Amino acid sequence: MSEEHNPEQGNRILEVSLGATTAEGGTRERVYTVGGAGTFPFLGAGPAAGHPPRIALEICDDTRTWSPIVLREVGDLAGDTGAWAAAAETTFGADMVRLFFTSTRQRGFDDFASLGTTMEEVIGATKYPLIVEGSTEPGIDSEVYRRIGEAAEGERILLGTAEADRYRSVAASALAYGHALVAQTPIDINLAKQLNILLHETGLPPERIVIDPYTGTLGYGFEYSYSVMERIRSVALQGDADLARPMISSAIDSLNVKEVREADPETADEVAIRWEFYAAFSALVAGAEIVCVRHPGTVALLREALPALQEGSHPQEEAYGDESA
Amino acid sequence: MAMKALDIYKLLPKTNCKKCGFPTCLAFAMKLASGKVDVDLCPDLDEQTRELLGGATRPPIRLVGIGAGERSFAVGEEFVLYRHERTFYHQPGLMMQVADTWPGERIERIMTRVRDETFHRVGEDLSVDGIAFRCESGDADQFGGVVGMVEACASLPEVVIADDPEAQAAALAHCGNFQPLIHAACADTVEAMCDLARKYGCALAVRAGDLEELKRLVGLCRDRGIENLMLDPAPATLRDFLVRSVEIRRRAVERTDPDLGYPVVFDTVPIDLPDAATALGILKYAGVIIIDELAPSSTMAALTLRQNIYTDPQKPIQVTPGLYPVNAPTGSAPVLMTVNFSLTYFTLLGYLEAAGIPCYLFIVDTEGMSVLTAVAGGKLTETVVADAIKKTDLENRVDHRILIIPGYAAPLSGKIEEETGWEVRVGPRDAAEIGEYLETGWEA
Ligand code: SF4
Repeated sequence: MSEEHNPEQGNRILEVSLGATTAEGGTRERVYTVGGAGTFPFLGAGPAAGHPPRIALEICDDTRTWSPIVLREVGDLAGDTGAWAAAAETTFGADMVRLFFTSTRQRGFDDFASLGTTMEEVIGATKYPLIVEGSTEPGIDSEVYRRIGEAAEGERILLGTAEADRYRSVAASALAYGHALVAQTPIDINLAKQLNILLHETGLPPERIVIDPYTGTLGYGFEYSYSVMERIRSVALQGDADLARPMISSAIDSLNVKEVREADPETADEVAIRWEFYAAFSALVAGAEIVCVRHPGTVALLREALPALQEGSHPQEEAYGDESA
Repeated sequence: MAMKALDIYKLLPKTNCKKCGFPTCLAFAMKLASGKVDVDLCPDLDEQTRELLGGATRPPIRLVGIGAGERSFAVGEEFVLYRHERTFYHQPGLMMQVADTWPGERIERIMTRVRDETFHRVGEDLSVDGIAFRCESGDADQFGGVVGMVEACASLPEVVIADDPEAQAAALAHCGNFQPLIHAACADTVEAMCDLARKYGCALAVRAGDLEELKRLVGLCRDRGIENLMLDPAPATLRDFLVRSVEIRRRAVERTDPDLGYPVVFDTVPIDLPDAATALGILKYAGVIIIDELAPSSTMAALTLRQNIYTDPQKPIQVTPGLYPVNAPTGSAPVLMTVNFSLTYFTLLGYLEAAGIPCYLFIVDTEGMSVLTAVAGGKLTETVVADAIKKTDLENRVDHRILIIPGYAAPLSGKIEEETGWEVRVGPRDAAEIGEYLETGWEA
């Protein structure tokens, strides 16, 4: 028997709200709800179809390790995080920005004050919900997440990333300042479940968690990620509440693989966009509710494809739909 | 419904006569249950049982071959909706279209590309599989002429797209002997198309947007003795294709609708979202995907996706432990230790190659676990590292005693130093930072 055809049971992916309007204590002009689906992606009709997936453009505050292809494409924006974030929404058509505080990943990072400043700048420059990624170094996690969380207080950002051995600082910040959180586990359905249980113990409500089963790059293990997303969606629809969470997918190493790096400069953008697109689009089909990419051209391609996957006579409206109150 | 081995066993003669080639009826039942043998191997079944077991154990989707010669391929014989349930067996053929109204140079360019363009990835040559001729002129002679022209310079699997049986006949006169796919029969033309399929012995696609109509067409073809069929659900949008293709596959593998047990053809051209449609066809069960002229950047990504999706998921996510030279290192090059989780390996390798710094990637056996999981689960320990140093003869491969370990393995650094006598440096947690880490002086 197939696994998804159990409409009688009515199991749904938990809904997670991102962003807060002025009335809710934030400054967002739009808020999103992700999740809610009761079937495999794009197969359901009516409420079982769930909320539309969202496309995020990833940017960073320190471009030293960012793809040169993207940096060439965005030009001066790369030196101005606020302007880059604004362009993601207005010029590039992303549903949201995912800001990586890559500065915190340099050895000996201690400029904590800059985090709050940049965070405020990006909040001021944008109108849609935000995803924000902090440090990956346990020694500074607590300070980094406190600064980011505090600067974004009330905005209900999606804060990342909690992992099995280091989730306390992120969770503490999400709890203290009212944010949602990304919980990442390396392509393993049981680890994903365990981390959700650990997070539950911190007191963070389940409707504030988005899971990241880790997305391998196209050609470099993407198939494992594709299948783990399908499995997570499948057991969730069978009633496993610990896994009935929206998923976020980002094949973050896409632009560093040989095929992209060694592409002829003439076609490098086209190759980069396709490499990101095929993984992100496939992740949507496997069940990701938020897909993240780095090249603005990939956002455009995804933007074009999404309405054709969605139900209804006005798919365009649905895809861009503003769900604020 | 598919049957379990024991249920099958109950219907067998239970004489263990071995005529099927298996030592016992139970052994045969187990093979049958996994779809690996045909029920006809047991000669002692009555007609009714044979039919029942055949229906329950034969591959739920028929295998259909397209093309003749080296590049020919077969699709179908699939068993599951999700690759994690087992695996997908026969990857879809990508067929690049040419229309008979296009200028000769354009047709020739596409033909040459399909014939010659290949990408090499992890031991496989990936290429677009064949050509799809589309009759747009409405003129049988013109269509036949174009098919004849391509046929003269390439022996590629082909799809002949024409609704008019006369145009089909004109094209098949040139290529019919090479097992092209005839695309497509609909209610009005089913008889004439069946005659052509019979004459040339090639596969026939039937097309209808409605599944009941598709089944009716399949029935009509079968009544005429045509069994090599494919289904075109005539999608107008990506969602049409997704919904219809999933439903066809579901009913086929659940064996609730044997009339839908045929591979699917996806003509992506009318949808006008070439990348999305091609990806969707690969993910959601197409056997043949007709594509427009995609740029190499797109075909490369599409073929890579196809390779990924059609990889057997039972294959462990591991690389062989050992010492891997990167960028031609010498004895003084840094040694970077990590785990044998494939994703970690590939990711790190990508960044190291990008950085262009000669070094050794030292892969220890953590049973395919990531660094984080391996440290937490006790699969990455100082003893594992010490053993790996011995096994790879690391001491004689480099002329220093410095080991760079992943950021996430930092808690083990002291223990590794004690156990191995090597000096341990803690590298970054994020592979993206490895280039900079090495450049700014790992020796310091
Ligand atoms: S041939 Fe038939 S009866 Fe004989 S061992 Fe095989 S299954 Fe059993």
